[in-house]
Amino acid sequence: MFSSARSFLLLAPLLLFMILFVGQGLYRAFSESLHAGDNFLENYEQLFTQGTFWSSLQISVYVAFVSTLLSLIIGLWITRTLFRLFRTDQWKLAAWFPMLIPHFVAAYIIVLFFSPSGWFSAVLESLPLAGTFPVLVNDPLYLGVIITYIWKEVPFVVLMLLPVYQEIDWRMEEVGRSLGAKGFTLFRTVEWPWAGPVTAEVFLILFVFILGAFEVPALLGVTYPAMVPVLAFEWFYQGGWSNRPLAQAMMIVLTFFSVLLSFCLLYAVQRSRRKWMKGGKSNA
Amino acid sequence: MNKWYPLLFGAASLTAGCAENNTADVETQQERDWEEIVEEAAGKEVGIYMWGGDEGINAYMDEVVAPALEEQYDISFQRYPMDTPEFLSRLMTEKEAGQQDGAADILWINGENFRNAKENELLYGSFASILPNMEEAVNTEAPYIEYDMGIEVDEMEVPWGNVQYAFQFRDEENPPETLEELFYWAEENPGEFTYPNVSNDTGNGFIRHIIHHVAEDPEEVTEFNEAWIEENGDEVWEILRSLQPSLWRNGETYPETLSQQDQLFANGEVSATLGFNEYRAESLIEQGTFPEDTQTVGLSSGSISSTHYLSMAFNTQEPEAALVAINYMLSPEAQIAKLDPSMWGEGHILDLNKLTEEEVEEIESLVGEEVVPQEEALPELDARYISWIQENWEQEVVQQR
Amino acid sequence: MRKKWTKILLSSLLFFLFIFPVLFLFFKSITFGWNWPDILPHTLNLRAWTVIFNDPLIYRSLFTTVFIGVVVVILNYLIALPAAYALSHGNPRGKTLIETILLLPILVPVLAIAMGLHLVMIRLGIADNTAGVILIHLLPTLPYAVRVLKAGFDRISPDWVKQSRTIGTSQAAAFFIVLLPMMLPSIRSAGILVFVISLSQYVLTAIIGGGQVTTLPLLYYPFFNSANEAVVAGFSVLFAALPILFLILMESSIYLYKQWLHRL
Repeated sequence: MFSSARSFLLLAPLLLFMILFVGQGLYRAFSESLHAGDNFLENYEQLFTQGTFWSSLQISVYVAFVSTLLSLIIGLWITRTLFRLFRTDQWKLAAWFPMLIPHFVAAYIIVLFFSPSGWFSAVLESLPLAGTFPVLVNDPLYLGVIITYIWKEVPFVVLMLLPVYQEIDWRMEEVGRSLGAKGFTLFRTVEWPWAGPVTAEVFLILFVFILGAFEVPALLGVTYPAMVPVLAFEWFYQGGWSNRPLAQAMMIVLTFFSVLLSFCLLYAVQRSRRKWMKGGKSNA
Repeated sequence: MNKWYPLLFGAASLTAGCAENNTADVETQQERDWEEIVEEAAGKEVGIYMWGGDEGINAYMDEVVAPALEEQYDISFQRYPMDTPEFLSRLMTEKEAGQQDGAADILWINGENFRNAKENELLYGSFASILPNMEEAVNTEAPYIEYDMGIEVDEMEVPWGNVQYAFQFRDEENPPETLEELFYWAEENPGEFTYPNVSNDTGNGFIRHIIHHVAEDPEEVTEFNEAWIEENGDEVWEILRSLQPSLWRNGETYPETLSQQDQLFANGEVSATLGFNEYRAESLIEQGTFPEDTQTVGLSSGSISSTHYLSMAFNTQEPEAALVAINYMLSPEAQIAKLDPSMWGEGHILDLNKLTEEEVEEIESLVGEEVVPQEEALPELDARYISWIQENWEQEVVQQR
Repeated sequence: MRKKWTKILLSSLLFFLFIFPVLFLFFKSITFGWNWPDILPHTLNLRAWTVIFNDPLIYRSLFTTVFIGVVVVILNYLIALPAAYALSHGNPRGKTLIETILLLPILVPVLAIAMGLHLVMIRLGIADNTAGVILIHLLPTLPYAVRVLKAGFDRISPDWVKQSRTIGTSQAAAFFIVLLPMMLPSIRSAGILVFVISLSQYVLTAIIGGGQVTTLPLLYYPFFNSANEAVVAGFSVLFAALPILFLILMESSIYLYKQWLHRL
């Protein structure tokens, strides 16, 4: 541990950069979202009374939550089962491969395989089985979008969790086992104190990322309800820019809640970490 | 390459930003002789902002326009791939920041975007009369010279190409030839027809045909007519609503873009696609994307003809070179090369009476039989209809399931 | 014996889920008119690749993309390593707030701030050029770099650094000889992540670079809206190939670095 002043010195370039650029951009977005007339919050009122916005928000939160949760569960499971194998580089590379692929390429791969005229459908057609291929792309449940995100984000989860698992003191597990703990209790007492904070952090990053990302839903989503970024894009550019203030208002609202969520989550993670570190020290 | 030197950014870079504008404005240009402008343009570099997602169009620009300008006028011609709304947004910000040395000189534009640009003073000015080819080659009698979707052109843009709306069908003996027949065909072949989201010009164009269909007389709707919309708007939506269940995916969703629909068509998921430019299927068949038996049909009940234009940015660095380049693109030579379906393949804006006999023959050999006879062409609607469609379609049609 | 089988099973599973799709993409790019419901194409040819490499902008755009990506990665290290170290081993006041600020670019939709950013760049005089694009690519990349590197530092006990310092090595030497080797896995993953994110930026590059800085996405995005699937697939393969190239570049520099460490 070193002093607060020195940490600030190391952090300064980054903080300055973020505040200068994002701050300036946000300020402008915010001022664009305000109404010029008497009621300067008119655009926000209009936004909140619009059904389109609410249905967009609903589908966005649903997609972000489901994709994040499934990615975390699968990623956690893979890491737990395979972390010993992952000491060698070939294995790591195989599991991380999707990370090398940009999101819109991943979306395209999903189209190639899963669309009703995709390859899986062609294979199914040639088999002597009855039944048509289910609609998984541009479907109202956003399954295509969710599949894409899972394919792309599971490796990210593994990437973040792997170092943690390789550091866990597995003697604790033996101690726990000998004390008669098993299954979930073992997981909770031995692994979770280590993996929990990182999992929460990854949850946050993925959730807000999916909430704000445009490419995948633009390609694999449906016309209505569109996810928030797609709707924002439409409002932003079409109709002679007349809907721009509305688009900006929507993005400001989204930003506000993302920031709030991340602040709370990061705060909770830090508290649990501190608590746990204290606990760990007093044991030692 | 002065693009790289600012890599050494830092304090030094803070000084730039509001460079002095020393380029000639449009009034000055009007007083000059054309020869003077051509002379001034030599050795300059000029750029055009245009959507870059069609290999045929790219090839035309790279293999016909650019070499010709280099050879004939010593102008080096750059193509910057960017979509119209994006570069207009950028121009707007540049204007706000007082950026006089703009990134690009020539814009590819029409309709709503043109109005936007004109209203926000993002254009260079009334330059059309400076270009010799406007007199010598272009059909200046055509309605699109004066009005672009109901917006006064004011010589701020010049027509570059003119295309008709047409439909493509596959595996179809008797493709429908009127809108009525098309609706019937869609019902008979559930799931085989759809149209792209109306935020896309092709999808929007389909709805504009329905407006024409509802209006008895094209005259009623050529100018934005609020009373008419008030009265007949719901009939337009009603037609679309009743069509919806027989569309692809029962109308649960629509292709986001025309290309998405083209992919569906290529894969046989739908049996029809559509779009501006009656010749567009030819190059797609050649590429192996569309099946050989693709048939293109123009509606005999009338199909909208649409014009796209070239214009200049307010902060162009090389107005002379831009003028020369635009003038070249209007020339019979460039326009005829543009007709060739192996590259771009789209309609010209020439006046056949102004051309030589060989040129007319060349055009006839390239175009062949007209898909949409001129007399069946419908005028393009006022741009405000486009906004009206965009603002209401989702609520009135998609959400009404 | 059982272990061996599970290994084979697992490796084929990983292969099919993660690597096969990309190989399939490559296969698709060398087909011609391959449409549903054919399981295999009738014709193979290189037409799509000819289209891609006939574009006069392609070579410069490949170079620009890699150049920007590499510079962005290096800048990320310079900025994010100290910051991640401070966050992990230091204890700045208001840590949660700082961490939130550092996440901002992920939290804010790019479209919302793009115009404002463009204005800043024009004022700085670096709009429409490579420097501006590099600077703007730092936004979406830095949050990830900080998170990944911080996770790496969290694993390293502060005692290690302290011990090496007590032996009397300089701070720089302590960093290069003690800290860096331990951080290598994180540095490697951060680099790849940053490179891929930089590679995928379209909106920011288009708005700040103004089409003059043509990176690969600027050429590819409009084509994504093209019905010619072989061309789209070909471009996609290029996108997958660049990070792999970068990975090789990175592995070789890590190898050289390790050699250097050995000789110490």
